[in-house]
Amino acid sequence: MATTAASTAAAFACASRLSTSPAVPRPSVWSSSSSLRAFPRGVAARRRAAMAARSAVLTVRAEATTKKSVLIVNTNAGGHAVIGFYFAKELLAAGHAVTVLTVGDEASDKMKKPPFSRFSELTSAGGKTVWGDPADVGAAVGGASFDVVLDNNGKDLDAVKPVADWAKATGVGQFLFISSAGIYRPTDEPPHVEGDAVKESAGHVGVEKYIAEQFGSWAAFRPQYMIGSGNNKDCEEWFFDRIVRKRPVPIPGNGMQLTNIAHVRDLATMLALAVESPGAAAGRIFNCVSDRAVTLDGMARLCAAAAGADIVIVHYEPAAIGVEAKKAFPFRNMHFYAEPRAAKEVLGWTSTTNLPEDLKERYAEYASSGRGDKAMTFDLDDKILVALEKAPASVTV
Amino acid sequence: MAATASLKSSLLLPSPISDFNGAAVSISTQKRRRSWQPRGARMQVLAAADSKNILVMGGTRFIGVFLSRLLVKEGHQVTLFTRGKAPITQQLPGESDAEYTEFSSKILHLKGDRQDFDFVKTSLAAKGFDVVYDINGREAVEVEPILDALPNLEQYIYCSSAGVYLKSDLLPHCETDAVDPKSRHKGKLKTESLLTSRDVNWTSIRPVYIYGPLNYNPVEEWFFHRLKAGRPIPIPGAGNQITQLGHVKDLAAAFIKVLGHPKASQQIFNISGAKYVTFDGLARACAKAGGFPEPELIHYNPKDFDFGKKKAFPFRDQHFFASVEKATRELGWTPEFDLVEGLTDSYNLDFGRGTFRKEADFTTDDMILGKKLAAV
Repeated sequence: MATTAASTAAAFACASRLSTSPAVPRPSVWSSSSSLRAFPRGVAARRRAAMAARSAVLTVRAEATTKKSVLIVNTNAGGHAVIGFYFAKELLAAGHAVTVLTVGDEASDKMKKPPFSRFSELTSAGGKTVWGDPADVGAAVGGASFDVVLDNNGKDLDAVKPVADWAKATGVGQFLFISSAGIYRPTDEPPHVEGDAVKESAGHVGVEKYIAEQFGSWAAFRPQYMIGSGNNKDCEEWFFDRIVRKRPVPIPGNGMQLTNIAHVRDLATMLALAVESPGAAAGRIFNCVSDRAVTLDGMARLCAAAAGADIVIVHYEPAAIGVEAKKAFPFRNMHFYAEPRAAKEVLGWTSTTNLPEDLKERYAEYASSGRGDKAMTFDLDDKILVALEKAPASVTV
Repeated sequence: MAATASLKSSLLLPSPISDFNGAAVSISTQKRRRSWQPRGARMQVLAAADSKNILVMGGTRFIGVFLSRLLVKEGHQVTLFTRGKAPITQQLPGESDAEYTEFSSKILHLKGDRQDFDFVKTSLAAKGFDVVYDINGREAVEVEPILDALPNLEQYIYCSSAGVYLKSDLLPHCETDAVDPKSRHKGKLKTESLLTSRDVNWTSIRPVYIYGPLNYNPVEEWFFHRLKAGRPIPIPGAGNQITQLGHVKDLAAAFIKVLGHPKASQQIFNISGAKYVTFDGLARACAKAGGFPEPELIHYNPKDFDFGKKKAFPFRDQHFFASVEKATRELGWTPEFDLVEGLTDSYNLDFGRGTFRKEADFTTDDMILGKKLAAV
């Protein structure tokens, strides 16, 4: 469409301000994909108007939707793996038909870890789980076609292009992509909001631009960190490991760096709303995060509170000690804070993450897992602590 | 309740006051100079029935200066209640003689001390007002006589403060968050409680740090003094503390927005900028606004010093910012100024013209710099 170029440009334009206009009720004609095909010029006109006004505030009525067939192409490891799991559950609960295509082999050792080890929860709810190569989705799904595809796997165009091209060729109505809030350029003025400048060289940016060109109905979701049962990557566990062993918790810098840690259920509900309101979601970028930031020190404190334990936090300067913060600490050593403004305005989404409460549930699972009793080494921690003893931090910064 | 009137009020939009933007921007970033006009603003002539008899407690110093102008332009009858120590009106930089004459001919003054509760009660009862904007109220006791005097008051609009929020590791502050009964602003909290307990239609606005021309709190002025003097900017801690500034004109527009707004009834709204800013980032933004080169930032540990009663830095040494999402969603209000634009507006209309409220005082700076030099 002629306007996709405009929408691409507008979606990636640097905007230092998020502006909105008063909410207007949305006509329900936009909500189903068949309506979109019937009113392509109407859709284009709406997008033009929205872009001209920078953004339109739309209230969405999550109506009784037609059931959709959704394909989730899911990564087989890492922090984002759990997103597909929760999203699948959310869709299945709403009565949609779900297939999860996990990259690689079903027999792989990676499948012994959560969330993959819990895929029976998907199949017992009516979901299909298949394995294969995203370079040949058609083969992996046995020639099936879908209304919606979510790529929760690729970090660059090499990985996603085959999926996108297959989706387009088979007439997929809506293409969704799990991108990353890590692509935002660092700023003096947090939070990162949709429309802010991104690192143009980032792989995810290339993907976002490509799907914007290829699909009328596309949306990109930029997450940060997640907690939630079934997570493939440690998050809160890093703190619990130290807290239960009564070890000091080394945090780089002054611990005031803000980050965003969401319960993965929030990401799932946001994605589900996009599926159920494709017109509202079309052409949009969504920060897929909770609506509260937490400081690094704060996260440590909340974990300790959840464990009902004391905590000693020590701060250190990675460069001064000769450790890489990336290896020593699981969160970015800087403000890394996006807000989910678009999802709230455009999808009517609300955040339910409540870290103090959610971490209690996380701790209960941690405690019952026996992980707290396992022998663990803390080489980098020890290196940091030794260095701090030798040269006690002369305060700051 | 004047339902029809409030509906009409909610359709009114602040009139453009582009005169206040003064000279063209003289900064390196090629920002389009913005006239202070909310998106899609229309000048709507009020029918006589829509015009309110409005009392502003205060109104001659900062917020009220801009708010009262908007109210008068809207066609309301506006009375300022002040002791008369400051001139009732002052011509603003960039304001034309005609505009100023028009405004000062229409604004009314009620001279009195709001701490004299008896006087407040009798004088207000005698005059009768439809709406009260309480811009300078600090304690709940100050508000009681006003409520007692005006039993048919349509709306009490109160300028509270985001300073009431309890410090938290989870941010931004939202209107539903826990408040701190021990805070320096507990008087504001008690006032909000009083308003809730009385049978009055109230609205409370919680700004964060307010900035803009005529600011009497040395917020941007503190940076401008140092930038002008070519001095380094001493910033406590790592400078990654996050704060938030809201332009006074955006705040005034919010105060207008809640007037008669059905969704503002018995509600609290955080009002500030759409984005937050680090301490270091604010120093850089002030430099951009004033056309100064990128400043040298000096970080120090405040615990290493005893500054006595002097304030070494104009912001609380902690994260402090609030979400304005409720106001945006419920009222359709959005801030017009982004940070650099707003600071530029302030610079061009105030400090950049040679005006400021507090003389430069670099005593604490010199203490900090002295220690830094000695440490080298």
